[in-house]
Amino acid sequence: MDILSVKDLKKHFGGVKAVDGCSIAIETGTVMGLIGPNGAGKTTMFNLISGFERGVGEIMFKGIRTDKLSPFKIARCGMVRTFQIPRALTKMTVSENLMLAPKTQAGERIWDVWLRPRRVREQERQIREKSRDILEFFEISHLGDEYAGALSGGQKKLLEMARAMMIDPSMMLLDEPFAGVNPTLARKISRYIRELRDDGMTFLVIEHDIPAITKISDRIVFMNEGKVMAEGEPAEIKRRRDVLEVYMGGEG
Amino acid sequence: MIEYVDTLLPYITTILLISSIYAIFSLGLNLEWGFTGIINFGHVAFLAIGAYTTVMFNMSGFPLFLSVIAGIVLSGFFGLLLGIPTLRLREDYLAIVTIGFSEVLRFILLNEQWLTRGPFGIHGFERPLQDVIPYQHYNTFLLILYLVILAIIYLSLERLVRSPWGRVLKSIREDEAVPSALGKNVFWYRLQSLMIGSAIAGLAGAMLAFYISYIDPNTFKPIETFHAWIIIILGGTASNKGTIVGALVFCTFLSVTQFTNRFLPFTAHQMGAFRMIVIGLLLMLLMMYKPEGIFGKKEELALSD
Ligand SMILES: Nc1ncnc2c1ncn2[C@@H]1O[C@H](COP(=O)(O)OP(=O)(O)O)[C@@H](O)[C@H]1O
Ligand SMILES: [Mg+2]
Repeated sequence: MDILSVKDLKKHFGGVKAVDGCSIAIETGTVMGLIGPNGAGKTTMFNLISGFERGVGEIMFKGIRTDKLSPFKIARCGMVRTFQIPRALTKMTVSENLMLAPKTQAGERIWDVWLRPRRVREQERQIREKSRDILEFFEISHLGDEYAGALSGGQKKLLEMARAMMIDPSMMLLDEPFAGVNPTLARKISRYIRELRDDGMTFLVIEHDIPAITKISDRIVFMNEGKVMAEGEPAEIKRRRDVLEVYMGGEG
Repeated sequence: MIEYVDTLLPYITTILLISSIYAIFSLGLNLEWGFTGIINFGHVAFLAIGAYTTVMFNMSGFPLFLSVIAGIVLSGFFGLLLGIPTLRLREDYLAIVTIGFSEVLRFILLNEQWLTRGPFGIHGFERPLQDVIPYQHYNTFLLILYLVILAIIYLSLERLVRSPWGRVLKSIREDEAVPSALGKNVFWYRLQSLMIGSAIAGLAGAMLAFYISYIDPNTFKPIETFHAWIIIILGGTASNKGTIVGALVFCTFLSVTQFTNRFLPFTAHQMGAFRMIVIGLLLMLLMMYKPEGIFGKKEELALSD
């Protein structure tokens, strides 16, 4: 079954056709890679799917029309995204960044802060424990009490992914998750993505690193100039001349 | 010596009374700006709503305590009304709309004489336990009462901003795209912050009315909003402790400089302007050498980036 399907999606900025009639469908429990040169419209596609931009076309997520919903409602449906330029909350600590994420926290309701303090405390304890585990996985647990503003670019990238993981979403959109991350850790994260996929989570991943993306993806979509140019299994995509030309063209 | 104490004590009591009222008023704004990043330039409107509602309810026969509650609730409700159409606006528009709101409200208070007695103001209303407390001790009593209220407000706010609820506010303050992407209803949280901040200002309004036992529309000019801004910037944005200290420093300064008048060749009017110039200079120095304020955290400075 498709967890996400996008039909004839369009988004124009003035004369720039950032996304120009794209249709894609992603099956539950798979990893879809989204590749394409700079300016192809990949990030705009993410913004449309996650509700941060309004476009024309139809988006169905888990059988719900989401193209008119605001970002937080889409997130509550179980879809979480990361940003290409990481948006760490720099004035909060790393562990606060993570602890913010989980949904339905009792302590986020003012009356529960007053009326059910024990429940709030207990939940905080669980969330803190979970955030420790996730930080450990991403190998940044020593930074838990640092302000996120003190992190390097690559560490912020990890923080963002770690924060998204705190939600246990059914689908994750990752915008260039490996950019600026050291190769060993990148491999570890790839492995983790595959494990989560085997547990039923769905991924849509934008990535420039073709070997890395072909390794983790079940299917790949290739975009150029706002259009889907090719879609298929990684092996197929790698054989496509047009894809290779766009990618290799610049490099000779 | 005794004489000296006799005049000094009431004087200190007065400063502390004014400070506690300003502290509570500013704590409301600190929740909105310091913790949520809402630019509210019309905070004084809620001071006015709190004061007028309390006084008018009481004069139409409601018990004093219920009148104060009405003032608090109505201030919060007006915060909601103001927030619904405006909190989606960009920050600078919000600043303009809120200051407009407070001025429109002041003109309504001035002109709707059938309701508010307009420029003549209202006096002769009841004050808490005025029949029980001997007149010469009344201010001391009021001070103890106000310090207790201040402590309750402070502790409640501390609890709130340290809760997961406060964590969401702080995330909104920095970058609302993040909490949105994580499924938090940013608009609703900003609305809650504005409502609570306004309700607290409403309480301060009732306290102000009891203290000066007279209110008129010109008590609630926009300058009062900016006094609260000065206080939270001075004390350290997003620090409740800093806000209280800021209020004390600010009110002491205002009060003490009323005496230096004698030593300076200024008229009372010029002195008022001179004080503001000094405060402006002090704030500029503070911004240059300790921009996070007395108690603020540098890492959380709301103005940075
Ligand atoms: N907010 C915007 N305003 C104007 N143009 C935009 C905006 N966002 C993206 N674009 C343009 O849309 C095109 C696609 O951008 P983007 O989706 O970021 O590409 P990619 O992520 O594939 O590199 C680019 O030409 C970009 O300049
Ligand atoms: Mg991009």
